[in-house]
Amino acid sequence: MHCYHCHQDVIEPNRYIAEVLGEKRQMCCPGCQAVAQAIVANGLDDYYKFRTEPANKADDSALEQTLNKLRLYDQPELQEEFVTTDDKLSVIQLSIEGISCAACAWLIEKKLSVLAGVAQVGVNASARRALVRWDPARINLSDILAAIEKIGYHALPFQPQQHEEQFKRTSQSFLKRMGLAGIMTMQVMMIAFALYFGLFGNLDDDIRQFLHWVSLLLTLPVVLISGAGFYRGAIRALKAATVNMDVPISIAIWALFIASAKATVLEQGEVFFESVCMFIFLLLISRYLEHRSRHQAALISANMSQYVPVTARLLSEGKTTDCLAKILKAGQVVLVRSGETIPVDGVVTQGKSYVDESMLTGEFSPVVKQAGDKVYGGTINQHSSLTLEVSRPLKEALVNQILRLQDQALLSKPAISQLADKVARYFVMAVLLIAALTWGFWTWVGNPDAFWITAAVLVATCPCALGLATPSALTCAMASLNRHGLLLKRADLLETITNIKVLAFDKTGTLTQGRFSLSAVHNLSAHPQQHILSVVCAIEQHSEHPIARAFDAPTTEQVSDVEVRPGYGLCATVNGTGYRLGSARLIRNKVPEDLQGCNVFLENGNQLLAAFTVTDSLREDATETLNRLSSYERVIISGDAEENVRRIANELTIDEYYAQCSPEQKLQKLQALQKQGKSVMMIGDGINDTPVMAAADVSVAVGGATDLAKNAADIILVTPSLALLPELFAMARLTRRKIIQNMCWALGYNMAVLPLAVAGYLTPWMGVIGMSLSSILVVANSVRLLNKGPRS
Amino acid sequence: MSILYILIPIAILLVTLAVVVFFWAVKSGQFEDLERHGTSILFDEDKPEADKDNNQNER
Repeated sequence: MHCYHCHQDVIEPNRYIAEVLGEKRQMCCPGCQAVAQAIVANGLDDYYKFRTEPANKADDSALEQTLNKLRLYDQPELQEEFVTTDDKLSVIQLSIEGISCAACAWLIEKKLSVLAGVAQVGVNASARRALVRWDPARINLSDILAAIEKIGYHALPFQPQQHEEQFKRTSQSFLKRMGLAGIMTMQVMMIAFALYFGLFGNLDDDIRQFLHWVSLLLTLPVVLISGAGFYRGAIRALKAATVNMDVPISIAIWALFIASAKATVLEQGEVFFESVCMFIFLLLISRYLEHRSRHQAALISANMSQYVPVTARLLSEGKTTDCLAKILKAGQVVLVRSGETIPVDGVVTQGKSYVDESMLTGEFSPVVKQAGDKVYGGTINQHSSLTLEVSRPLKEALVNQILRLQDQALLSKPAISQLADKVARYFVMAVLLIAALTWGFWTWVGNPDAFWITAAVLVATCPCALGLATPSALTCAMASLNRHGLLLKRADLLETITNIKVLAFDKTGTLTQGRFSLSAVHNLSAHPQQHILSVVCAIEQHSEHPIARAFDAPTTEQVSDVEVRPGYGLCATVNGTGYRLGSARLIRNKVPEDLQGCNVFLENGNQLLAAFTVTDSLREDATETLNRLSSYERVIISGDAEENVRRIANELTIDEYYAQCSPEQKLQKLQALQKQGKSVMMIGDGINDTPVMAAADVSVAVGGATDLAKNAADIILVTPSLALLPELFAMARLTRRKIIQNMCWALGYNMAVLPLAVAGYLTPWMGVIGMSLSSILVVANSVRLLNKGPRS
Repeated sequence: MSILYILIPIAILLVTLAVVVFFWAVKSGQFEDLERHGTSILFDEDKPEADKDNNQNER
């Protein structure tokens, strides 16, 4: 049974139900239920009728906290950075996570537009962004963000990258030039058709001359406006004393145009205006496709640089005030409640708690922190309130030191070879040389058509299809992957992926789930195991330690006299018997040698009853995925303790692993692998992985990764599952095959027609038609990738 | 055939108009989100419930 909202499996049927479109629907979790109810309550159930993709699973465990945190975005200091004011209205760009199809955009627009004070909402589904205008006197920004949050999307302000505006302008100018060329080409082709085939019967000379002049008039804007980009490119290249594809293109355009114009004015000779127009139009299409794939990738990477301010609760004179972490100074005192992120590096002054430092160290088990211990910004307080004294401002915090390491690593990233450009240069030189020789030869022979033959050579050899071969395949592959939840930040990544030799995995949170679960039970008592587990679950219900989450089965035992001893465990009475449950330090009975590896023990007054091993378990799909990737060299680089890493490595049959690595050491290990000449893909999720991800040839952030990791990664897996990795490789291989096919066809065609053109059998218009067919074939071949995507 | 001397100039005028309209469309961002607006015709206008909200909000 599938959840009606997110299409994931429903584990507890009939527990969460919402009425949508007049029928009771099963939901998988309270989150999806709440979102579906909110959507229906707003009269927006059309969303379910017309959506083409399921929604993301709505995780509501932290909804209340998230909503509270959103309040922060109302602070004027913070808004200064990303809100602009326009005629008393505030304007903001939001990046929205969770948009999967056009219906999502509609849903968000409708939901926001009924809020009082919101003046305008525009959601762009392909860029996953929204532009909101609102009246700050009537509604707060946080209320707008909360409204989006309630229907299951996450919206955050972000800072668009600087070059993005330029990308958009280029995009528009491409579209205009392409549209102009397209419309004009249609007209000129129509006239050319008449001229060639004499469809109006025998044309008299007047009409023929008139049609020539009309063609000239219609071609003029195409040559002057649409083709301008090519001339600029050619001039730039010539100024730099080199040649590129634009040079022969410009020569061909102007040669054909001037000659045709001359023929029109002098009223003798042939005209080839339609060839000029179509030539420019087709070339623009290929350039535009290439530009768009890069634009799409840039948008995705910009969306990732969301603005997430870290906040702190400043304690002064017994009162707490919320403030931004970046304004904290050394010596100030900060309160961190249970479940909150520790804002800065500091020293604990009061309280005792468990802190999850896995994102910084990779070490999975939470660390006990009490007065005098150092804590680091970015880690999560899991248990109870802590009071800290700030030891250094955020700028110098450990998180930022790791980020600096990441920046350094990025600088030393291996450069992708520009082979294609080099090949193109030689190709162009060869084309120019052949054209020159052709002209020389036919002039020497005394052929009056020498000029047209040369023009035909330039047109026929135009690497139009060659230019389309790569960008069209990459665009289609990216679009297909995008639809299946793989976001690529650069299109050329697909080419790099096919060269990958080594897969380096982080352990915690990447291969494993990042939370405790029960992996072994040793029953030493005479009671049935069921009974023992039931007792343990009953006691653990009173613990907030993360280990307790491994024992969350429902139980009916009566528990009393619970005493929690932080760092040790719990003492409690169940059905009249006193039990002690916790680490070996709490247990009074002697623990047998062979059970030393266990980390939770249960005893009553007399004897040790049971021992448990509670560990971070593998992600469900990890084993299968890793098996499918067994043709690659697989390595685990983890910050966790040796023993944990070895266990996971054994389970996955991975021979090579490195444990207890600091972010620097991780980076060194990776660079050592790269020094052996291997391309490495790093798959990680935490802050401590970011430097090594930045240095890797390709990096992948697994769903649920920290924002910093998503920022550092080249590829983001939207769903928290590794299963898409093999699909990514398959797609990359398929794409490369398509590119090679395309190139073979394009080059093959050019090679085949070149002798014909040189020999003078080919007129320019035949060259253009051949070139068009060849381009269409290449694009059609690439488009087939769209349907090939990963299995869903 | 002389009709062509009138029809073709008219065609050129229409084409110019088409180009102007296209340029306007590009400039005003009509091509920015092709995914979304293809389906917007499917969605009904505000439902009664949503209208009520609107009135309450004095919009």
